[in-house]
Amino acid sequence: MFRGDFFVWALVELFWMTVNILMVSVIYEHTKSVAGWSKYEMMLLVGTSLLIQRFLMGFFWSSIFEMGRNIRSGNFDFYLAQPGNVMFMATTRKLDPDSLVNSLVALSVVIYSAHQLNLQPSFLAIGCYALLVVAGIVIHYSMLVLCISFAFWFTSAQGIEGSYFTLSEFSRLPRQAFKGLANIVFVWALPVVIVSNAPAQILLHGFKPSLLAWVLGIATGWFALTVFVFNRGLRRYSSASS
Amino acid sequence: MLSILNKYRAVFLVGLQSNLVYRMNFAVRGFFAFFHLIVVFILWSAAYTGNREIGGFDFGQTFTYFVALIVVQFMIGAFNEDYQISEEIRNGLINQFLLKPVNYFAYRFSIYASARLVTGLLILIPVIVTYPLLKDYLTVPADWWRLALGLPALLMSAVIQFGIAYCFGLMSFWFLEIQGLVVLSMALESLLGGQIFPLDLLPAWLFRVSQFLPYYYQMYFPVAIFTGRLSDPSAIMVGLGIQAGWMLIILAIGQFLWQRGLRLHTAVGG
Repeated sequence: MFRGDFFVWALVELFWMTVNILMVSVIYEHTKSVAGWSKYEMMLLVGTSLLIQRFLMGFFWSSIFEMGRNIRSGNFDFYLAQPGNVMFMATTRKLDPDSLVNSLVALSVVIYSAHQLNLQPSFLAIGCYALLVVAGIVIHYSMLVLCISFAFWFTSAQGIEGSYFTLSEFSRLPRQAFKGLANIVFVWALPVVIVSNAPAQILLHGFKPSLLAWVLGIATGWFALTVFVFNRGLRRYSSASS
Repeated sequence: MLSILNKYRAVFLVGLQSNLVYRMNFAVRGFFAFFHLIVVFILWSAAYTGNREIGGFDFGQTFTYFVALIVVQFMIGAFNEDYQISEEIRNGLINQFLLKPVNYFAYRFSIYASARLVTGLLILIPVIVTYPLLKDYLTVPADWWRLALGLPALLMSAVIQFGIAYCFGLMSFWFLEIQGLVVLSMALESLLGGQIFPLDLLPAWLFRVSQFLPYYYQMYFPVAIFTGRLSDPSAIMVGLGIQAGWMLIILAIGQFLWQRGLRLHTAVGG
């Protein structure tokens, strides 16, 4: 019944991804390197960032977004009554097949760039890449759920959508481009840059244990924080009657 | 004649008030625009490292372009006009306009104009506040003719912006859901309107093609005149001509969709 809708949204995402790839191509028409990254290295980075984003959109986005509205309207009761972890139940209710289809496109951008760069990654590097992508999804998931959890206190989490997309813009930039204050905020304090840079770097320059440990540490930390805040919020939830 | 103007003046004033009520909304959007500017700054300063100029423009000129883009967006951008029109059609609010001597296009345009007056003025506040930070990177050409040609371009861009949103909104006469279409056209606009990168960085033939599309005149054209990316007055005059043509075409399409759509429209209940 919603085939047309699926098609349009899949097209929308595909087009947005093309826009990002095009921007890289246009910039590299005029310069050889950006912060030390060549054209296809940059493509690989953008592809990785898009891949993580597609997975997040496909598996969690609609549910997380709906959660904010449900907390406000009182429909959140439904999840409390279910026999399972509330956070898990509330954030995994819906799948978006259009995003999942497009994750294949993002993956092919990564593979194509790797091919252009003549990369021959070891199985270890590919395994690490996959692991870091999963860690990236965990980090993005945690940050989003954390933001939406504020709806327990403020009943409105408007603008979260915009904030997520704005932050994800940062994840398409090479880490070396961040200097001074920007480096502290976007690389160290908020893990938006490292999420995409770490897997790309491992694929490009090989396995590096410290990087892996760093990202896994961040993922664990943010996830723990989110679970804590979510459960605190849950205690404040008082439903709504009308 | 005067009474007709008074009617839309009233709409305009109501629009002003309702926009001042939703200040928070504006603050959130302005905040994100500022973050976007940080991304732009980081990306382009990295791209400019080792290159004194890109496409014939230095970093200051390119950064100025992106700052001006944001200001112009708040001044003339149609943000959710299409959505509002679509909602009015879908839930039947539009019926009241069919019974009254109110031109729907003029009514909507008055609201759009008042909304942009508010956001256009408000966006100047963060620009003025951050000016001490920005001023080292801004290079604004001071030719008087840029104002003379840029202002009409800006006005026509506003009509094109609104006109496209109006047409998309009217699609609701045919389709239940237009959100997907709207986002698709937004992506197209941001690319071909020069919001992702200045269009003049495209390969020459693509840049030439883009000049014949309406998107070019929606955003890039006035901004490029003001910030010095377009510098040949006679070429700009030709551009103004094409822009006027697109403006008329889009207005005509809007009128056509309105008449056709009304034939399909059924007002139910009371």
